[in-house]
Amino acid sequence: MLQLTPQTIRIVDVYDDGTHARHFTFEPKGFVHNKPIGIGQFFMLTLPGVGLAPFTYTSIPDKTGRFNALIRKVGHLTEKLFTLRKGDVLGYNGPFGSGWPVDQVKQKKVLIVAGGCGLAPVATTIDYLINNDHSTSVTLLYGARDIESQVLKNERTRWRSKIKLFETLEIGGGGDKQHSGLPTQHLSSVFKYAQHPDIVLTCGPQAMMIAVANNCMDLGLQSTNIWMSIERRMRCGVGLCGHCYVANSYACKQGPTYRYDEFMALENKTVAFQKHQGLFKYC
Amino acid sequence: MSNGNNMLNDSYLLQNLAVLRNHLAESYSLVQIQKDNDGEEMWTEQLGESNVPLFGHKHLPLASPKGFLFAEKEALYKFDGETFETILPQVVPKVLFGVQACDLTAIAYQDKFFEFDPYYQKRREHILLVGIDCESPCSNGFCAQVDAGPHVNSSTADLVLSRLKLEGANQLSEWLLIAETEKGLNSIKALALEKADEEHLRLRNKLLEKVKSEFIDYSYINNAIEYLNNNSIPIKLWEELSVRCLSCSGCTNLCPTCSCYSTYEIVNKKPEKTISNSKVLKTETLRVWDSCLFQGFQREASGHNPAQKAAQRVERFWFHKFSDEFLPEFKRYGCVGCGRCEQTCPGTIGVHSVMKRIDQECCS
Repeated sequence: MLQLTPQTIRIVDVYDDGTHARHFTFEPKGFVHNKPIGIGQFFMLTLPGVGLAPFTYTSIPDKTGRFNALIRKVGHLTEKLFTLRKGDVLGYNGPFGSGWPVDQVKQKKVLIVAGGCGLAPVATTIDYLINNDHSTSVTLLYGARDIESQVLKNERTRWRSKIKLFETLEIGGGGDKQHSGLPTQHLSSVFKYAQHPDIVLTCGPQAMMIAVANNCMDLGLQSTNIWMSIERRMRCGVGLCGHCYVANSYACKQGPTYRYDEFMALENKTVAFQKHQGLFKYC
Repeated sequence: MSNGNNMLNDSYLLQNLAVLRNHLAESYSLVQIQKDNDGEEMWTEQLGESNVPLFGHKHLPLASPKGFLFAEKEALYKFDGETFETILPQVVPKVLFGVQACDLTAIAYQDKFFEFDPYYQKRREHILLVGIDCESPCSNGFCAQVDAGPHVNSSTADLVLSRLKLEGANQLSEWLLIAETEKGLNSIKALALEKADEEHLRLRNKLLEKVKSEFIDYSYINNAIEYLNNNSIPIKLWEELSVRCLSCSGCTNLCPTCSCYSTYEIVNKKPEKTISNSKVLKTETLRVWDSCLFQGFQREASGHNPAQKAAQRVERFWFHKFSDEFLPEFKRYGCVGCGRCEQTCPGTIGVHSVMKRIDQECCS
């Protein structure tokens, strides 16, 4: 049987990490993770009296079971979450969903394109590749609105010496470290610098991911080598509540990571969705 | 579980329905169709003295018995300030007496969908399903068109009742009673019933053909299903249809296969006196039926809404009911032909309206 009841976790560390974003460290209270957590999977967080929502792991649990999450304040639940302090307890259920294709990524030149908080779901992939001696084949293109809204500062500092890292800012930028504009505007030069990547992983607003995918295909990449992690409203994480549907798949089970061509095939199963996404080009 | 080969051994004759009903009521809480105070036909659990139920195709209640298995609202778990605890439903054995074929097919569909849902399964395992073959088409029903009736599909009920009557022929017996499952067979073990023979089963099949022939021409439904699966319905048509969707959730609430839910929290604002720290809140997480036709169904906290437009949501609803994409998982469509969405829709997005429109605009 499925387990909908959460287990208790405690906040053991919390710090601001970008505009309206916070970095949380959670610790299991009275349980151990009984399933291995895949790179790019997610968990459901229950705020008693408030609600539940999905969040990504920005680190895989360590030996003590502690793990991190980068969470942005965007709605009712996260607003309440940001009032909590070290020591407060919450509900945890997971891991859920299917993650990034790390086995495929390992042998290849990888370009990761992340926008805003979309950096969080790819953080474990970057760490995984670094820890498995593949850091030289990794390029990260990270776009944010402005310097204040950049997230995962500590992680980026750590990564900077190990992987090729490009940062773009919509507002500001143009200096040594950050380029100005959107990540898509710099994609072709990053592509060259990354010696034409074999595989692209992208996470961010859906419109950005689709634009990234289209640009990558224009640059010669097959749609089967592009992966994206999508965001959907969820109320269970186990394929029951119905909220996260993408045609006949559920983002909480078959996703949240989809191969681009498979995601498009799902979206194209319904005409109203095609129009909404402006995808007629690829029908 | 019975199959066609040994069904004969498990078939009986019954003169008086009350004998069966009263017998089952000894071991099960009786749930049957009755009129409420407003004259509305409802699936009702008998709490006091048993009333004579309404029975058969003339009485398909607007609401299916879905809520007895997938509760409209139920607690999932509670939190005491430190730990979370599952709240499984407290159940007593119930018999749903006289469920029509369409609703039984829907229950079988939800059995599959909720196979690993502990709340649904806790209720389900305590329910005995007594089905009834419909003797005539009902006003909006097209069950025969979608393999959901008019006779009870095999293995969708524990017991099946079929009235053995054919105009111009001698009535062999009032009722044929078929035990379809072990559970069904056990429930009638103590009754001394006469065994049915092949003649009775042949008559049941003959009656099935007769009822099937009485359905009006619903070929537009099949045409539209085929067209839907060709994925070529113009977006304009979905947009036109969706103008008439008021997002009232009537269709999704009444649809016996609809299963979407949302969750919400309740806070016990009066901590027990024994708890010294009055700041500790006790909370409960509940789930409640939701509807994919609500504008906010997929809306995320950021405001991003993958199904912002009504046209997308209406198309989604019908995709979920009639797309071939779901066949590998469910082995059938999500629509069981009960026609309740048509009956309740204040606009024109009920099944007949939509399928007729698709047929007219796309198939001719």
